[in-house]
Amino acid sequence: MAAAHAHAVGDAEYAEVSGHRLLGFLFFLISDCVIFGNFIFSYLYLRNAAPVWPPVGIERPYLYLAAVNSIVLFGSGATMHYAMEGMRHDRRSQFVAYTIATIVLGSMFLGGQAYEYTHLLPHTTWAGTTFGASFYTLTGLHGFHVFIGVIFLIVVLLQTLRGTYTQERHFGLTAATLYWHFVDVIWVALFFLFYIY
Amino acid sequence: MLESIPTQLRIIAFIGAVIVAVVALVALRGEWPKTKLEDNVTKIMMVLLTLGCVEVALVAIGTIGRVK
Repeated sequence: MAAAHAHAVGDAEYAEVSGHRLLGFLFFLISDCVIFGNFIFSYLYLRNAAPVWPPVGIERPYLYLAAVNSIVLFGSGATMHYAMEGMRHDRRSQFVAYTIATIVLGSMFLGGQAYEYTHLLPHTTWAGTTFGASFYTLTGLHGFHVFIGVIFLIVVLLQTLRGTYTQERHFGLTAATLYWHFVDVIWVALFFLFYIY
Repeated sequence: MLESIPTQLRIIAFIGAVIVAVVALVALRGEWPKTKLEDNVTKIMMVLLTLGCVEVALVAIGTIGRVK
């Protein structure tokens, strides 16, 4: 029904509406950036105010698992790009294969994060210290975004299989791709802040 | 448990970082001539993705990052 509605709209009108929707979606991403920015600056403030960081008795998060997990997430950004390219060139099988790869890699990232939370940080709790609160709030918020992104991708994949999107009309896929790149890029900053800096 | 296998994790991270960085740069090259808004956003995202890969590669070879 959605496809029928979309095709009832002329090409010029669809292009104009897509432009407005894209702008709206970019404003949404920018507002999300502001949310992350607020938490990041709070973290930096707390960190600079503390005499010792991380606080005594708190271990730093394990670097190398996070490095592998980061590459899993960054790899999913690359597969998502090629999924979108598949749709742009009307290669459905490429789109489906790369989107499934992206969903799998995103889920692996979430699994890695869950493992880190449950096995590698036994003395760091959300309520225990400012470090724990900052770490779990920011990485948890990001993980929630990844989870939403995985759901978003599953929905657009199912819609594509039902024929909702075409080579010319695929705004939903464009939005999903931009959202996925956004969660990738946010992780670049979080990885630096919590594991390197 | 993972503390006993850092070398394997570092190798995996380094190889993965190189592969993803190359793929991101190839994607960036493909996007470069395009001028629509979403294409320009994608270009920025690909540059930042490459930066993330460089970050991970430097961690893997031990140049940056503190283990404990």
